[in-house]
Amino acid sequence: MDGVHDLGGKQGFGPVDRAHENEPYHGEADARAYALCVSMRAERDYPIDWFRHVRENIDPVDYLTRPYFDQWLQTAIAMAIDTGDLSMVEIATGKPESLARTPAPMSPEDVRAMLVTPAHFERAVADDPAFVPGDRVRTASQGHPGHTRLPAYARAASGRIVAHRGAHLMPDDGARGIHRPEHLYTVAFARGDLFPEAAGSPDRIHLDLWESYLAAA
Amino acid sequence: MDPSFDTDKIAEINRHLHSHLPPEPALRVKALESLLVEKGLVDPAALDAWIEAYTEEIGPKRGAAVVARAWVDAGFRARLLEDAAQAVAEMGFAGQASGHLKAVENTASVHNLVVCTLCSCYPFAILGMAPPWYKANEYRARAVRDPRGVLAEFGVSLAPDMRIDVWDSTAELRYMVLPRRPPGTGGMDETALAALVTRNAMIGTDDLQGAA
Repeated sequence: MDGVHDLGGKQGFGPVDRAHENEPYHGEADARAYALCVSMRAERDYPIDWFRHVRENIDPVDYLTRPYFDQWLQTAIAMAIDTGDLSMVEIATGKPESLARTPAPMSPEDVRAMLVTPAHFERAVADDPAFVPGDRVRTASQGHPGHTRLPAYARAASGRIVAHRGAHLMPDDGARGIHRPEHLYTVAFARGDLFPEAAGSPDRIHLDLWESYLAAA
Repeated sequence: MDPSFDTDKIAEINRHLHSHLPPEPALRVKALESLLVEKGLVDPAALDAWIEAYTEEIGPKRGAAVVARAWVDAGFRARLLEDAAQAVAEMGFAGQASGHLKAVENTASVHNLVVCTLCSCYPFAILGMAPPWYKANEYRARAVRDPRGVLAEFGVSLAPDMRIDVWDSTAELRYMVLPRRPPGTGGMDETALAALVTRNAMIGTDDLQGAA
């Protein structure tokens, strides 16, 4: 979707504000919002790209102005309402209408286990990769109304495959509840090919892109 | 019930949440915490466990230890560049978002910079919580378009012929920069070297060339 979350290359933003850069959390509310969100995420096994898509659908003004983990928490709450684990009446009144149906919330032991267990997104596929390192490719020229991980600034752009990363779960499908792996590549673009004012720059921008975002060039 | 995977439904829920929740972030979080605990959806002890883990235990010191080891141990450096997920697991640092970790190496002619323009993906297990600027609109918008301007704001000025390699974390791969070892550190051991490595150097907004 062409949402405000797709920030890469957007202009008009000022200097990077480095305030609070050496504190793990930006205050108590930030820490609590983070912990609440990640504690709710075990309630259901859902694709990570559904979480991302729900966040992308936060009101645009809120998306651009609210604290980061505050948005994560709203995302987790929206997902709980979507699945019927919370109601809008409960949100409005602040009081539960009934107790949670799930057997038990995430425990501190569950947290310890999650902290040492990386998630893996690579899956086996039958088909061979369409591209090999060195191939020239062109990215899709259009987005679509759902979730995608091809940023707008890299649409209809020519680049070069630098690595094949195996087949990873495809995010556009993941946000639709479909677990389907697809070959994933790291693609290098000349910064000057993406942004006109950077013509002649030696810089390269690398993105990790799924096969269906790409065509041979 | 299962998630709807319905964009229109979720957008409507988000709009309702906007009008039903207190506008002030601290009050909003407090109200939601109280409701979620009372409802039995979260255990307060789990909340504390998450917060403590990223306050006490998991942070950029881990990444700094990885970098220092790569500087003194050529075999480890080779393993890190080949398969960073495995190399950090070897040091006991496997965790959130480290499953597809890649290390990218700065050289005399290439400087690396990491961003996530679409959300704010970050290798939590190695670097801890991302700094606010990494998650901010300004950095996400500008790192791919104006990396030299962003680096200058962080005090890193590169020669015009030095190439910047920007890594936009659009998939589940996560990136950490292996900075160049600062000049004048030949006699330092691994522990002393690790103390020189900043979190920003492992994102790419510091180059450590004046660190020692």
